[in-house]
Amino acid sequence: MKVAYYSPLPPERSGIADYSALLLPALRERVDLVVPARGTTKPPRGTDLSVYHIGNNPDVHGWIVDALRRTPGMVVLHDFVLHHLVAGLTLARKDVAGYLNAMERDAGLPGRLLGLGVVDGCVPPLWSTRPEDFPLAGEVLDLARAHGLIVHSEHVHDRARSGGFDGPIWRIPMPVWPAPPAEPAPVEGDPVIGSFGFLNANKRIPQLLEAFAVVRSRHPRARLLLVGPETPGLELERRIASLGLEAAVERHGYVDEARFWALLAACDVAVSLRWPTMGETSAGAIRVLSLAKPLIVSDVDAYGELPDGVVLKVAPDEREVESLAASLLLLADDPARRESFSAAAQSYAASEHGLDRVADLYVRAFEEAAGGPAVREHLLREVAQGAADVGLEDSEAIGSALREVGLGR
Amino acid sequence: MRIVVTHPQVPFAHGGAEVLAERLTEELNERGHEAALVTVPFKWYPRERVLESAFVWRMLDLTEVEGRKIDLLIATKFPSYAVRHPRKRVWLVHQFRQAYDLDRTELAEFGERAVDRATRRAIHELDRRMLGEAEKRFAISRNVADRLSSSLGLDAEVVLPPPQELDYRFDEYGDFVLSVGRLDRAKRVDLLLEAAANDPALRVVVAGAGPDRERLEQVALSHKLNGRVEFRGRVDAVELADLYARCGAVYYAPVDEDFGMVPYEAFLSGKPVVTTTDAGGPLDVVADRRTGLVTAPRAEELAEALRYLRDHPAKGQEWGRAGKAVAERVTWDAAIERLLG
Repeated sequence: MKVAYYSPLPPERSGIADYSALLLPALRERVDLVVPARGTTKPPRGTDLSVYHIGNNPDVHGWIVDALRRTPGMVVLHDFVLHHLVAGLTLARKDVAGYLNAMERDAGLPGRLLGLGVVDGCVPPLWSTRPEDFPLAGEVLDLARAHGLIVHSEHVHDRARSGGFDGPIWRIPMPVWPAPPAEPAPVEGDPVIGSFGFLNANKRIPQLLEAFAVVRSRHPRARLLLVGPETPGLELERRIASLGLEAAVERHGYVDEARFWALLAACDVAVSLRWPTMGETSAGAIRVLSLAKPLIVSDVDAYGELPDGVVLKVAPDEREVESLAASLLLLADDPARRESFSAAAQSYAASEHGLDRVADLYVRAFEEAAGGPAVREHLLREVAQGAADVGLEDSEAIGSALREVGLGR
Repeated sequence: MRIVVTHPQVPFAHGGAEVLAERLTEELNERGHEAALVTVPFKWYPRERVLESAFVWRMLDLTEVEGRKIDLLIATKFPSYAVRHPRKRVWLVHQFRQAYDLDRTELAEFGERAVDRATRRAIHELDRRMLGEAEKRFAISRNVADRLSSSLGLDAEVVLPPPQELDYRFDEYGDFVLSVGRLDRAKRVDLLLEAAANDPALRVVVAGAGPDRERLEQVALSHKLNGRVEFRGRVDAVELADLYARCGAVYYAPVDEDFGMVPYEAFLSGKPVVTTTDAGGPLDVVADRRTGLVTAPRAEELAEALRYLRDHPAKGQEWGRAGKAVAERVTWDAAIERLLG
């Protein structure tokens, strides 16, 4: 069986490129895999299944959607919200009608009118302001209907189903990155708390700073590491100063892999908050767990699916700062509790997100998607023929029994 | 209770699994239950047939017969557990191993084409659902239970099936090693013949028939075993009991066997069993230097083990007696109590 695997790959800077770089060697041990070069839209001869990795970035995934349009196949849906991708595939290519159609498909006539407002410049770009309200995933879901979707979370699974997707869906966890043996970076502080990734409002950095100020009042040696580039408009410096945290917050900007792991290793607690989300699963959060660090996440979407007992969760509601401070203090006050979360995190990352397990689940999905329809059709034909031979043209009982044994649609 | 035992049937074939299903039905009836064996023909090739055969079971209604309710259903082997019943229990003899551990081996049924791969996956899904919906799951050996757990994540209690009724007795600690079982490659009788080639004093009696007999006779000839190996073919119950009673040890080392009744029969005759580290089910009861000897699957080491038993008859008898104590606990009373419990 031959699988064509469409994905961005390093050196492209994309989380999905890193994801595939990690996964591909394990997949190649298990299945005959061809990786078409960027820009290739036709699968190689003899391909049984084409698999397309789709994320929200049009620069990275535009050509993959072009290939998917040419040859429908299985889609690995990394983000449910694809508004930015669709805008890139339509408006950026001067296809205004395509954008308006996508908006109408998601939100009816009001959607089309809103889209017109965007095109005319009367409404700010929705991909920046309200993408989560208009995910625009419809076309991609349609193209994946026959062969199915791979998703990383129940959240995306449920959104696809509620969006009318009735093809097969496989939920496959993110694979865990093997943690390099990193020496902890020398960081003064007790406890050391870290947040990793882009620093922006979505990552709840303002709320984190306020909650950290509460922790600092009880733990004067506490230190907060903010690791990642700052996005404009956050006014990080002003916020830190207004809370009097200049001496307690370390900012690191963009760091390379080695430095990332060393800083993470230096943390006693990591925080990975996000709201709103694009339906994505955070590879960063899984990395933190693999390094056995106690982790606090937002209690929303895919993040909320991480088990209680493995992470602490904070709802992004009006009491977010208070709850976050309480969670941080719970871990800061009690090293034994940190130890217990640490052990649970490592065990969960290894069992749920182990690379071999993830690769096995992928191969299972490939095999079911590539030959499954033919197998089901053959069986249905044989059974229907048998039923017809004895005078039963249409039996609901047969269809129901086929579904029970996993062979129906 | 009215109980149905389900078992797939390959017409004209009759082996250990068939005996087990028949015996279970008889033993249930002897204990005052009203039990019936239900079989449906099974054909596993071409590969499309496997799922059709399984689906036929799903279409049966065994919840009642002639207006009378069937209280309990005990399914045995793939695909008979696809049947629907509110009180379905499974005493798993084995799954369709070609879709699992035998895949991509010389005994494989499925190739590399997309439909082959998908059929194999469809069998997994069917098993996951049909075994998963059972009220209770039992397996005939630790090996079968472990395979179920590792392949599908489903657990099963081990309930060992008792051996067939024979006139078990100990007559002597004789000068030959006995091999009992169907002659096919998986039973690995050739390993015993190679061991005999390594030890000029070793005598072997092979009881059983099967497609591998001609090849095995050629192996014996090529090793110039010159009358030291005797192929008895299929033997009746009287002759089998006699061979067990008179042999010095019993060899039983198939490749990753599901269960294997032979060690229990040997033990009930007070004889030690020699098996190999990769034999699977027999390792549930053949404990090295306690009820027999467990060697690496290599002719020299097997020959060495058999030589040891010949040179140390007291040890062999001691281990045989220990095995008998184990085998005597494997009874139909015990099995049925757990299957119905």
